[in-house]
Amino acid sequence: MTSLVKNLVLAATVVAAPLMGASVASADGEKYILVSHAPDSDSWWNTIKNGIALAGEQMGVEVEYRNPPTGDLADMARIIEQASASGPNGIITTLADADILSGPIQSAIDSGVDVIIMNTGDPEKARELGALMYVGQPEYDAGYAAGLRAKGDGIGSFLCVNHYIVQPSSQERCQGFADGLGIDLGDQMIDAGQDPAEIKNRVLAYLSANPETDAVLTLGPTSADPTLLALEENGMAGDIYFGTFDLGGEIVKGIKSGVIQWGIDQQPFLQAYLPVVVMTNYHRYGVLPGNNINSGPGFVTADGLGKIEEFAGEYR
Amino acid sequence: MAQAIPPAEQSDERVKDISSFRKALIRPELGGIVGTMAVFTFFLLFAFDSGMFNSQGVMNWSIVSAQFMIIAVGACLLMIAGEFDLSVGSMIGFAGMIIAIFTVTLGWPAWMSIFMTFIICIAIGGLNGWIVIRTGLPSFIVTLAFLFILRGFTIFLPQVIERKTIIGGIKDASEGDWLAGMFGGKIFGGLFTWLGDIGAIATFERGSRIGEPVVDGIPMLIIWAIGLVIFGHILLTKTKFGNWIFAAGGDAEAARNSGVPVSRVKIMMFMFSAFCATVFAVCQVMEFGSAGADRGLLKEFEAIIAVVIGGALLTGGYGSVLGAALGALIFGVVQQGLFFAGVESSLFRVFLGVILLFAVILNTYIRRIITGER
Amino acid sequence: MNTQQTPIIEMKNIEKHFGRVIALAGVSVEIHPGECHCLLGDNGAGKSTFIKTMSGVHKPTQGEIFFEGKPMHFENPRDAIEAGIATVHQHLAMIPLMSVSRNFFMGNEPERRFGPMKLFDHDYANQVTMEEMRKMGINLRGPDQAVGTLSGGERQTVAIARAVHFGAKVLILDEPTSALGVRQTANVLATIDKVRKQGVSVVFITHNVRHALAVGDRFTVLNRGKTLGTAVRGEITPEELQDMMAGGQEMVALEGSLGGTV
Repeated sequence: MTSLVKNLVLAATVVAAPLMGASVASADGEKYILVSHAPDSDSWWNTIKNGIALAGEQMGVEVEYRNPPTGDLADMARIIEQASASGPNGIITTLADADILSGPIQSAIDSGVDVIIMNTGDPEKARELGALMYVGQPEYDAGYAAGLRAKGDGIGSFLCVNHYIVQPSSQERCQGFADGLGIDLGDQMIDAGQDPAEIKNRVLAYLSANPETDAVLTLGPTSADPTLLALEENGMAGDIYFGTFDLGGEIVKGIKSGVIQWGIDQQPFLQAYLPVVVMTNYHRYGVLPGNNINSGPGFVTADGLGKIEEFAGEYR
Repeated sequence: MAQAIPPAEQSDERVKDISSFRKALIRPELGGIVGTMAVFTFFLLFAFDSGMFNSQGVMNWSIVSAQFMIIAVGACLLMIAGEFDLSVGSMIGFAGMIIAIFTVTLGWPAWMSIFMTFIICIAIGGLNGWIVIRTGLPSFIVTLAFLFILRGFTIFLPQVIERKTIIGGIKDASEGDWLAGMFGGKIFGGLFTWLGDIGAIATFERGSRIGEPVVDGIPMLIIWAIGLVIFGHILLTKTKFGNWIFAAGGDAEAARNSGVPVSRVKIMMFMFSAFCATVFAVCQVMEFGSAGADRGLLKEFEAIIAVVIGGALLTGGYGSVLGAALGALIFGVVQQGLFFAGVESSLFRVFLGVILLFAVILNTYIRRIITGER
Repeated sequence: MNTQQTPIIEMKNIEKHFGRVIALAGVSVEIHPGECHCLLGDNGAGKSTFIKTMSGVHKPTQGEIFFEGKPMHFENPRDAIEAGIATVHQHLAMIPLMSVSRNFFMGNEPERRFGPMKLFDHDYANQVTMEEMRKMGINLRGPDQAVGTLSGGERQTVAIARAVHFGAKVLILDEPTSALGVRQTANVLATIDKVRKQGVSVVFITHNVRHALAVGDRFTVLNRGKTLGTAVRGEITPEELQDMMAGGQEMVALEGSLGGTV
């Protein structure tokens, strides 16, 4: 008997041990929670994490980052409910799917938590829900602008490398681009998956099956980096028209070397940094900008890459 | 092997006497009970004033745990019957998507869509089982194939039909439907309004629902979870069929020799696992009003983890539905509780791994006492 | 033992072919009520195929089987079990992770009504199990004790008691003693004796001559898919049986060098 009890106590202690060190002392200032829709594997969100960390430090507030580990939006809804139950001063969240997320966000707002919508979503929906504002880059518009630009450069067909097919905003980017070009999206969007090797091989396969493709559009570093490798391998690098959403270390190099014509910078740093600053000032002094803030789109080309290069993947 | 132990009539003198207290303690659920107590003790100590134990917080981790419970019951019975179902997560996504297509795209009444979805998904579960039985392949491989097949359709169908990967508008389409209400509705609303009125739970401070309680009822999801746990527990421990489940998983050949219809039992458990996944999907779709291609990702592993934390043996023939339910509770409380405790969210998997490891070690120890395995 | 009465099972010239392999090439055996009939044979002699044919797992390619004087055609083992032919397999009789009581009633669960539901009657099952085990000389800690905690001999005994309890007229024991120690073997042989005294026929498959002679009434030797005749207790010596099993030749030479210990 005693040995059993001992074992149980031992087991319980060992399970609890790693948790002990984990509880954090709350800071004195306001507490904000940023909820993203991105799975753990999406490295792009690192800039967001750095952005809120910097803003938290500068403003003297506590900001936590949370996300559904697999990117399941239903799990994200639970995280927003949970965030709201833990009673923060404000929640900064994406609106990846209004159907799923508006309920929990609405409840949070109604129970007295201020909300700013960032990154994914659109200004109308944010206003409807009663969020303070929207900070980000409307996806379809950004894709459309990019499409118009590419059309001006004489592009008639393209490949959209979608590494996040289940996320509607990814598709809006491709759709906007196709509409900007004035063509049908059709089969030009591929589900590339998240694994770099798979993305690379799918791009290679598509391009060898459709060698007349004019342009490649990638939706972020996750799909752009392997696509760069694929183009190097099949010799299309520098020849095929290459545009991408978002920036990252490899993308910047690509733009510099001329393989990538342009990158659409939505400036995620601002999407993370500004909501924290805006909310803190709102809670401290009651001041609030009158409009939504568009953090993008801005086209980044080979000219003027200095700061971007320096802070790529960190703050850019 | 040859033991020459004298007098013949004392064949049990080597079996140690076991006190009745210890006997009551040593049960398959013990690991789950100990784990639940440990987890609650921990979070009461470290996250008590974080909102985790106010009405919204309790509802939050209860819902997450209930979700795990629903799929854990199916996974538990199937695992005891000696098989795995890795297609649970994809089945959740698939079931949700076909409900959305039926109700939104085809405009069927919600009850009919739900009904058809159950039929289709249970049939797919049966197909899973039938292939496993007929080919003799490990269910791991067969259901892994269905993991991809179903996920593929879940992405393909809405893209072809609606040109997007998330289909919304189910809430409006199923408004007032009797069957939809059994999955997405809430009950005991009056009780919670009263609790809100007397100030026992918080109320909304602003907006259209000002004055209403922040928790306005028990979601049907939780009712389903409790119902399935009770059903599974009675089925497993109190019926003839339950004995067959244990027998089929313990040793299929021995069970067949004793006249247990092993193939039928296993196929029915595959169907039950699919049923549970569909219940999960319908509750989710009816609550959120949309179906997405990413729903249910990795849920099969979460179900299996809950079942294993609950004391079931991966190779079958041993386990407990109550244990699996406690495993789901532990999983849900830890997952949400870590957020409340303010732990960096990327560490979640570390904790999960640690808990899983210790649960398995403890459960193995308990099981050896019970079954005399060496 | 009464050779005049109708055999409970009579197998005439049974042949069983698996593709081009001839597993049984004309085997004839009669099993009488209440006798212990030992079926001896070396590995590969066709013992397993033979008992599977008897218990309804295989259908014979040629030959006839009579059960209680009537020709029988078992479609599956279930039919054979219902007719009263029970097989206790060497390793596949019991499920170690399950309790003795659950094992005992596996496939024959007693039920009681509880409102609209039928539930497993655990009280009845536990009571019967304890009683039957006591009869066989096994004292359980409780009916919920797992079979895994029992010794190999005790497991065989539980399996035999189970078969008898559910009305077996013929009990086929597939090498019940092959993996057991000395004392456990003695227990199993004692169980066989008890069962035979209750009037149940026992078909005892073994390759151990001494175990066979300890309890057997008649002995049939199988060699390379054929029977080499049936002998009655007292008419045959252990050495003769041993020789027949081995095919007669090599063993004589071997026995000399091993000093008669085989």
